[in-house]
Amino acid sequence: MSDLPPKSSIRRWFLTTNHKDIGILYLVTALFFLVFGGLLAMLFRVELLTPAADFLGESGYNQAVSTHGLLMVFWFISPFAFGFANYIVPLQIGADDLAFPRLNALSYWLYLFSGILFGISFFQGVTFPGGWTMYAPLNTPAYMPGEALGATSVVLAMIMFVAAVTLGSVNFLTTMYRMRAEGLRMRDIPMFSLSINLTVWMMLFAFAALLAALIILSSDHIIGTNYFTYQIDGDTFATNVNNPGSSMLWAHLFWFFGHPEVYIVFFPALGVMAECFQTFTGRRLVGRKWFIISMVLVALQSFIVWMHHMFLTGINLEIKTLFMATTIGISLPFDLMVFSLIYTMIKGRVRYMTPFLFSLGALLLFILGGITGVFLGAVVLDYQFRGTYWVVAHFHYVMVAGATALFGGLYYWYPKMTGKMYNEFLGKVHFAVYFIGFNLLYFPMFIAWETPRRVFNYPVELTVWHNLSTVGAIILGGSFLIMFYNLFVSYFRGAEVGDQPWEFATSAEWAVASPPPLENFDGVPSYASGTLEFLSPSDVAKRQSGHSGAAADGGTAETSPATDGAGAEAGALATTETALATGAGTAEPTGHEHASHASFWPFMISLGGFLLFLGLSGIRTGSMLYTSLALVGGILGFGSLVGMAQEPFFAPETAIAERWPFADVEKMKLGMWTFLASDIVLFGAFIGSYAFIRFAYGWEAWHHDLIPEAHVTFPGLVNTYLLLTSSFAVVLAMVAAEKESRAGVMASLGATFALGVGFLINKGIEWQHLFHIHTEAFPEGWAITTNLASSTFYLTTGLHAAHVIIGLIIAGYMFFRSWNGAYLGDEKPIEYFGLYWHLVDIVWLFLFPLFYIL
Amino acid sequence: MLRHTVIQNVPIAHAGGVRTPAAVFNEIFTVFLGLGTLVGIVVCAYTVYNAYAYRDTGEESKADADRPELGELPTGGGGGKKLFLSFGISAIIVLSLIVWTYSTLLYIETGPDSQQVQENALEINVEGYQFGWQFEYPNGQTTSGTLRVPQNEMVMLNVTSRDVFHNFGSPELRFKTDAIPGQSTKTWFVGQQAGTYEAKCYELCGTGHSYMNATVEVMPRDDYQQWYNGSESE
Repeated sequence: MSDLPPKSSIRRWFLTTNHKDIGILYLVTALFFLVFGGLLAMLFRVELLTPAADFLGESGYNQAVSTHGLLMVFWFISPFAFGFANYIVPLQIGADDLAFPRLNALSYWLYLFSGILFGISFFQGVTFPGGWTMYAPLNTPAYMPGEALGATSVVLAMIMFVAAVTLGSVNFLTTMYRMRAEGLRMRDIPMFSLSINLTVWMMLFAFAALLAALIILSSDHIIGTNYFTYQIDGDTFATNVNNPGSSMLWAHLFWFFGHPEVYIVFFPALGVMAECFQTFTGRRLVGRKWFIISMVLVALQSFIVWMHHMFLTGINLEIKTLFMATTIGISLPFDLMVFSLIYTMIKGRVRYMTPFLFSLGALLLFILGGITGVFLGAVVLDYQFRGTYWVVAHFHYVMVAGATALFGGLYYWYPKMTGKMYNEFLGKVHFAVYFIGFNLLYFPMFIAWETPRRVFNYPVELTVWHNLSTVGAIILGGSFLIMFYNLFVSYFRGAEVGDQPWEFATSAEWAVASPPPLENFDGVPSYASGTLEFLSPSDVAKRQSGHSGAAADGGTAETSPATDGAGAEAGALATTETALATGAGTAEPTGHEHASHASFWPFMISLGGFLLFLGLSGIRTGSMLYTSLALVGGILGFGSLVGMAQEPFFAPETAIAERWPFADVEKMKLGMWTFLASDIVLFGAFIGSYAFIRFAYGWEAWHHDLIPEAHVTFPGLVNTYLLLTSSFAVVLAMVAAEKESRAGVMASLGATFALGVGFLINKGIEWQHLFHIHTEAFPEGWAITTNLASSTFYLTTGLHAAHVIIGLIIAGYMFFRSWNGAYLGDEKPIEYFGLYWHLVDIVWLFLFPLFYIL
Repeated sequence: MLRHTVIQNVPIAHAGGVRTPAAVFNEIFTVFLGLGTLVGIVVCAYTVYNAYAYRDTGEESKADADRPELGELPTGGGGGKKLFLSFGISAIIVLSLIVWTYSTLLYIETGPDSQQVQENALEINVEGYQFGWQFEYPNGQTTSGTLRVPQNEMVMLNVTSRDVFHNFGSPELRFKTDAIPGQSTKTWFVGQQAGTYEAKCYELCGTGHSYMNATVEVMPRDDYQQWYNGSESE
């Protein structure tokens, strides 16, 4: 733990773990990627002035549209929303910070470095040219010009980004369920925080599916597995490695993520709109309860609509009908939300401040986006709109309407974040120019909808509409110069504002200074009386004696999940555990120690991860440069993880807080549970992919054609017993810790470790044998790249083995700590490790029959 | 071969009278566009009207007694009935539109009702590749770049790809389906007017995607037959 330098010092921004600082970092970085993605859009809008590739060239055009989509969807819009979430959510719910501040910093640095890696891909020959939807098999190196290292970098950058998102989701969920002010029920949290809560729930599961898709794709790129392979080898197909389900597998994985992603992007914007409508109309949200219920319904249903992106892929009529119904179903709650916002204005005192103008504009744009979306819900129309500018125009009207609301949010919270008021006149001018530019850019696309997506040679008679769009793009892009100027100059010259610059704002962020102090609130916020109060330490003590046990779990030191390398996600878990092991030992009761706000390790871990991934992007070329980058990055990342685990870091939990429905689940345990939930989706997606490919190939023929005789059940069976026994040993360790038997803890943890190592050795022997068999069917062994079956076998069980290795690192670490007498009478860290280890065990119980018996 | 000579002499079997996918699309699109424009104008106008009507004039109003206050626990504003009424109306509009279009979806999925038309349909295999289209006719002959079909006959396309994901569609004839490696999908159309039409690739498939066009030549039946017969011997 280091001390936090002042904001004027550059060091502060590398060290900080404070949610408000990180919120600012997110906002600034996201705006940078807005400019990056926006300039790419400018480039191809200029290309589209004439119907020919006379500016960027064919490949350049494809790269520009693909990276524009990826940057805007991943690196701009969600991180922009999460800049606000970081800054505002803890303030709105009455928390001092997020539950795991270092984890939060780590999320940010992973995000930033993933973006840098994305930027580097432009300089590795050609970046990813296959569209933001990355359809297979065009996303494999076989179909890319040159060495395709840039494309690999993009895939790895996305993995890193997903790692950041997953850590963020775990963090926000834990925070919102464990750190709300007293008396603030889940349904009472302000609309913006509520929208973020639902967003992170969707993120937790949707991004896990994307992570599976990306890990598989990067393995196809780097290791040479054949999940998405479909290519001509000379004149004939290399049938053993061609996956006849390649395109469909990707489409399912991608859209299972991709549709919830639409709401992940839009929900925070809805939250901002609800806040701004309430504040600037001076009215409470009409039908608030139903608004919330609608959002919950959408969040749930978002996972069962994905096949509407695949209506033309030959899925049968029954499934089409089902997905048509769920799609229409999911549009209806939005009708309610729109009307709720409209009716909120009635009897209001509407003040046209810039945040309200952007919110109102966003609502109007979203209405148009929604109506044109109903067209797509009619399957017969969808068939014809598929792959055209109708879709482009529709989703820009929806997604950029979301961005519009978020820009409103920027003006809304700017005075809170800076303590200065922006220039209202320039804000209004920005809105006017923005709104005109937006419609001039996207509306002509509806008129020119017959243009196929991602082509540069559109029909000549549509030239005028495309030119209007280009003019609109320049106006829309130019409007941001006004915004940047306004916000920059106002930071130095704007009028000072008090706590609450906006009349009728109600939520707690307006009850503290602008900008708020480091630890947010002077007293402990509480809504127990029905309105916001700040309790003094003596009040808190009084309450605590009333609520026995409410504070019993206060003050566990923070844990430090982190990631590096290919097992990014699993790595995060690993360090959670490791740090947990250290952290819980040094736990202090609330208030006896000052909370920590600085750590250098999140930055270092992310830097290590970045170098490692950059190295991995080119490691298949065998180049010394890339190999050494990977090595250095791996060592730096791992070393920093250990450093973070060793670092004492204190993140107190509030003494009294509203914790429904997880009052009895400690912070660490809740974090672990939410993390494991996403891990289950990851493995589920891997298992699903295996079943999908095998089914596409022919379930029975698979076994006959692709798997050697030497692949027998026995090693798997032995490993099943080893893992089951090791899980049992963890339970024994817990019992021994409870009984305060040091020898018992050491023996049980030692047994867990030994059994896990046995598992890996056995697996190693098995793999070595299979790699080197010489049979008629497999003259060169059964290696990872040999065929589809070997690809799925090695990659899926390899992912599991990576989980085992991470578990062993933690078990080994805990063994050494138990040597020094840790955990006696405090078995919780062992319990948390046990949760993880049991999951790894259970996953194997699925993998064993799937890959050895069936 | 024999099949097609027979058709020429039995006028009832031809598909000149069936509702083409293009006709179906145009009808539904027109209705949606009309209703969508109307609903869009009404809702947007009402939104802007409210924003204007309830602008802050600086005057006290009755509602001012009950403005939100800092630090209050959030509650909903009134107006629930009105909310559900408008929600109900919008739901009815959307649902009835979708139910109405569902029967046409069944039509597009199953093809014309006339059994004869269906049985006489000309089946052509389409294979996409980077960057072009190949067509295989029942007599085994193949063409690239130009799909020739007889006028007023149902044409059934079996579409696949030999490399990456493509999509084969025609903006005028209104057929469209994904061309996916490793599997095939079906779509159908009827060319009721002789002439030259465009077909395009609708899924990004590489550097030549923008140029991946084909022509669809709808030919008078006799001309087609002549070409078809001649082509077989090639």
